[in-house]
Amino acid sequence: MGGERLKIILSLTPPLLIIFTLFFGGIFYGFLQSLGYQPAIGKYEINFSAYYNVMFSERYAKLFWTGLGLNLWVSFASTFLAAVFALFGALAIRKTFFAKTICNFIYSLNLPMPHLVVAVGIIFVFSQSGLLARLASQIGLIGSPGDFPVLVKDKYGLGIILAYIWKEAAFFFIILMSVLQSLGENFEELAQSLGANRWQRFRYVILPLVMPNLFSASIIVFAFSFGAYEVPALLGVIYPQMLPVMAFEFFLNPDLNARSEGMALSIIIAIIVMILVVFYFWLTQAKIRKD
Amino acid sequence: MSKLNIKNLIKSFPSMDRPAVNNVNLDIESGELVAFLGPSGCGKTTILKMITGLFQPDSGDIILDEQSLLKIPTEKRGVVMVFQNYLLFPYMNVNENVGFALKMKGVDKNIIDQKVKEMLELVKLPDIGLRKPKQLSGGQQQRVALARALISNPRILLLDEPLSNLDAHLRDEMRDLIVTIQQKLKVTTIFVTHDQEEAVLLADKIALIFDGELQNFTSPKNYYEKPKNIKAAKFFGGVNFINAKKDNHNLSTNIGTVHYKGENYTDLNEDNIITIRPENIKLSKNNDFNDNSFKGLIKSVIFSGTHTRYKIIVNDLELECSLQSVGLQDIKTDDTIYVHLPSDKIWAMNE
Ligand SMILES: Nc1ncnc2c1ncn2[C@@H]1O[C@H](COP(=O)(O)OP(=O)(O)O)[C@@H](O)[C@H]1O
Ligand SMILES: [Mg+2]
Repeated sequence: MGGERLKIILSLTPPLLIIFTLFFGGIFYGFLQSLGYQPAIGKYEINFSAYYNVMFSERYAKLFWTGLGLNLWVSFASTFLAAVFALFGALAIRKTFFAKTICNFIYSLNLPMPHLVVAVGIIFVFSQSGLLARLASQIGLIGSPGDFPVLVKDKYGLGIILAYIWKEAAFFFIILMSVLQSLGENFEELAQSLGANRWQRFRYVILPLVMPNLFSASIIVFAFSFGAYEVPALLGVIYPQMLPVMAFEFFLNPDLNARSEGMALSIIIAIIVMILVVFYFWLTQAKIRKD
Repeated sequence: MSKLNIKNLIKSFPSMDRPAVNNVNLDIESGELVAFLGPSGCGKTTILKMITGLFQPDSGDIILDEQSLLKIPTEKRGVVMVFQNYLLFPYMNVNENVGFALKMKGVDKNIIDQKVKEMLELVKLPDIGLRKPKQLSGGQQQRVALARALISNPRILLLDEPLSNLDAHLRDEMRDLIVTIQQKLKVTTIFVTHDQEEAVLLADKIALIFDGELQNFTSPKNYYEKPKNIKAAKFFGGVNFINAKKDNHNLSTNIGTVHYKGENYTDLNEDNIITIRPENIKLSKNNDFNDNSFKGLIKSVIFSGTHTRYKIIVNDLELECSLQSVGLQDIKTDDTIYVHLPSDKIWAMNE
């Protein structure tokens, strides 16, 4: 018994070592950099000035705090709206005979599509020189394409939100369809026979039944959209700027001293996401204990 | 207190080559406990779902207290169904589950609490209100489901195989509880089962259904003594069938003329079938019966405890007879025997 166990541990050690080195080594090195430790340019100090700079210095504070606000807004709004759209979409089509086809379509087309492609698609359709603007001016809804509302590269991150909704709604949709399918309709039929009308069946039966899955999926989507770079880089404006873009610009800065700020900002983003995830697990654990 | 009339009810599914429910007619009196009995897939649940409104019939009508239900949505029918697998809402505790129907009606919270308490006492589970469904045994879950169904005083209570997921001993207990509660509340109840014994023990009347068609709708006793057709008789353990022809108030068969006293004589076709339960046949070595007595040969004797079963050949026809083992005459295989079919115990059917 003991020998077997040892053998397993020993045989797992090399790959585990590699994973640990890459992961924790990477984090550790990044953390050191954020503290200002950069032997490559002859900096050996260790302090929190990069963190301070990013959050409170006159130069970056405004950018950081508006960026954080935009980040929270974009992530919450896109996660929430994607979940809502997916929920109503799934409820609307689950009983139709083409539900499976739609699922497969989304599965094979939308999910594997890179976010970058979706972002370009959003520009193509929703920008002021895009398809919708041209169409609207052609049929006389607006005077010229320039009168089209600014939905892409706008300061409220609407284009970014749109792109995330497009992508993540598909993710939610797939999850919801499988949950609804496995639940069947018995609970709803029962509720109906107990006198629940359509709204009450949604509110007191469907929603609580899908909520745990919807909530978990939301965390994944939220964490992803909070830390992702490419969509806000393509569809965002210079100010306000989402935090991952801001971090990336620090890295692009020819001044290598800015690396520390970039790393500090990346770690701040990671910590915020982690706090949210931990909060979520605490919430679900508390609920499980209560049950 | 509601009476239910089902008229020419038909329902087909595209996936099936025969109707799932084929021209069913039933009149259920107020306060009756009726069992729908039949093998799996015969259409029992489909009929229940049409009564609740979850399925729309292709044709026919469902009338509750002289009013057609077809145009009324499920949630307004006052017809409550209890599903086979309990289906307690997993995210609600027992109190919330039981109070669900009243909450949907917007009843005052204090009144709901009071009613929930009453219902849980009715199903003999007074102290589990704060538990979650997964903390309950199968029997407890089923009782909570029953309490939840009864809280809004349904006009009709539909129970879809409520006992089939329970262990044998729990099943008896639950069955007795259902009968007790039903008699107390006098709620018109339909109880679905594929178990003939369960139906007999429980129901005022049994609707026997095969392949979507109603075979017979009568009291449990009549299924044994006066079944409507061979299928019904066989489902309840009937084994003796004799082809007969009407013959001047008697029935002539190829074992001889049988005197018949059944009240259905005028309804019988020219060609019909006689049946008699094995336990109603009498045997004697001497021909000491003055009526419906036929000479035969014992083919086999099987002792089975309290009863002994005999197979007897009478003119090529095989009959089965079951006698109490106590005080039996000494009858052996190959003995010649006189078989008596008491005229008040034989029953003739058209098919
Ligand atoms: N929603 C449905 N769609 C298609 N066929 C169905 C549906 N519900 C029931 N059936 C079919 O109708 C027949 C009767 O089913 P059901 O009423 O559930 O039988 P029972 O309850 O007596 O076991 C079965 O053959 C079943 O496959
Ligand atoms: Mg069924």
